Amino acid sequence: MNFRKTTVYAALVLFLFYAVLILSLLTFFEGKGFLQVLLAPDTLFSIRLSVVAATIAMLLAVAIGLPAAYALSRASFPGKKLVDTFLELPMIMSPIALGAALLIFFNTPFGAIIQEKGILFVFEFPGIVLAQFATIAGLATRLMKTALDEISPRYEAVARSLGSSAWGAFWKITFPLAFRGLISAMILCWAKAVGEFGATVTLAGTMAFKTETMPIAIFMALASADIRKTIILILILAGIGLTALYAVRFAAKTPQIL
Amino acid sequence: MSSVRQNLHNATFWPRAADRKIAFIFCALTSLSILLPSDAASKSLLVFAGAASKPPTEEIAKLFGQKNGLPVRVTFGGSGFVLSQMKLARQGDVYFPGSSDFMEKAKREALVFPETERIVAYLIPAINVPRGNPRHIRSLKDLLKPGIRLAIADPETVCVGTYAVEVIEKNLDLKERERLRKNLVNTVESCEKTANVISLKVVDAVIGWEVFQHWDPERIETIFLKPEEVPRIGYIPAAVSSFTSDRALAEKFVQFLISVEAKSIFMKYGYLISLEEAKKYTLPSTLAGGEYSLPAAWRRRPR
Repeated sequence: MNFRKTTVYAALVLFLFYAVLILSLLTFFEGKGFLQVLLAPDTLFSIRLSVVAATIAMLLAVAIGLPAAYALSRASFPGKKLVDTFLELPMIMSPIALGAALLIFFNTPFGAIIQEKGILFVFEFPGIVLAQFATIAGLATRLMKTALDEISPRYEAVARSLGSSAWGAFWKITFPLAFRGLISAMILCWAKAVGEFGATVTLAGTMAFKTETMPIAIFMALASADIRKTIILILILAGIGLTALYAVRFAAKTPQIL
Repeated sequence: MSSVRQNLHNATFWPRAADRKIAFIFCALTSLSILLPSDAASKSLLVFAGAASKPPTEEIAKLFGQKNGLPVRVTFGGSGFVLSQMKLARQGDVYFPGSSDFMEKAKREALVFPETERIVAYLIPAINVPRGNPRHIRSLKDLLKPGIRLAIADPETVCVGTYAVEVIEKNLDLKERERLRKNLVNTVESCEKTANVISLKVVDAVIGWEVFQHWDPERIETIFLKPEEVPRIGYIPAAVSSFTSDRALAEKFVQFLISVEAKSIFMKYGYLISLEEAKKYTLPSTLAGGEYSLPAAWRRRPR
């Protein structure tokens, strides 16, 4: 077996591993209830809530993560290594721990002031966005830094030497060159936010028609020992996620990271 | 020419020595963790338990294990969640939910042997507030006051949430229920989280179990309902799972749960261990256990 074939087989094994997981769901699947669950008002609400919250969380993560990624990629400043390490905190801490930390933060005097005078996060929609943001912000910054690292700083230096401003050099040179990588990072973070469960359930609760996202709906179906509904909801979430991701890949054709 | 070829042959993109050292240390540490011995035992007892009885159950499981020389593995979670786990994994020796509702479901689906069911402790629905009662909540009607932030457990999946809805539906009229639902900021996914949101002062009140104040006495205070307002007495049952591979041992554990020794542990954690004791907080005619059919207004969708 040659080297190339072996690598292709490894990719196929991974595909089969996930495909078998999805197919195994069909052993408990009953087709007649599928449309009923999909079109139920609570499912449609959960789908919309998940997509809207994940999109806002992803945009916020990019808004703060892109400048941060640029600084980590290009500049050197005191404490850079520490900041870089902390970006991995959400990956090391379990999502439940992250959610618990947020809940405890809002129990501190400072957190209580934010709740009273600013925005209500606990058990409210902003809580979903905050929980998802906390989970993906570090990852977004790390992925965007990788995309920016790929672009040699010399291009910007040349643009600056020809009279371009720092912002102009970034906007006209580095950003377009890193564009595919940045888009890939955004897609990956959006997908992670859509599937986020632990931090969201801890901070935002489970109320139907208020804070019940799709992953929470799946958990609640399993928690009510309703395995049929659980499986239908998993298939719906997997279907939406995979369709969105495949469509973007199809449009992007040759993404760098994804 | 041959020296150029030799140089090309020697050229490599392998990382420098320092990076190789980091990679080696990382691999060594992760491999070491895999090689550490595990405590896999040949014979053990697997209990699927609702989190409503976590503190005493852990102690009792340890004691039973010591007495019988085998490990007792307890998986805690929401009563419905652990029932799903037991059903899908097709294993487990004892099912020990937080209340009768999920035991009824387990019996209907033949996941337990009904004749082995025993009642271990009793639970009284009550209002729980942060210690010191900062919002001066003294009764169910106080939960209707504007601005009160109330939470309950998810009524469709967590037994204490079902009891909360039963309390609301049986004691408040339509207008009062509407006012209460305005104050209901959210539902939570488990029994223990219902207590935690009071410990963390996330809300002003929950409708939970009387026993919550014993779980965290420094932060939780129980406001008892009037005896006539308590619709049912909850109880924590245990039964042998139909997936057990050693029914005799599983039955022995269930019997141990109702022994004097185990009951004294439940008492230590503030649980009510006899019906007479529970009836001190209710009318003499109040029933224990059973199932409550949730009204459509509280369901995600009609059945």
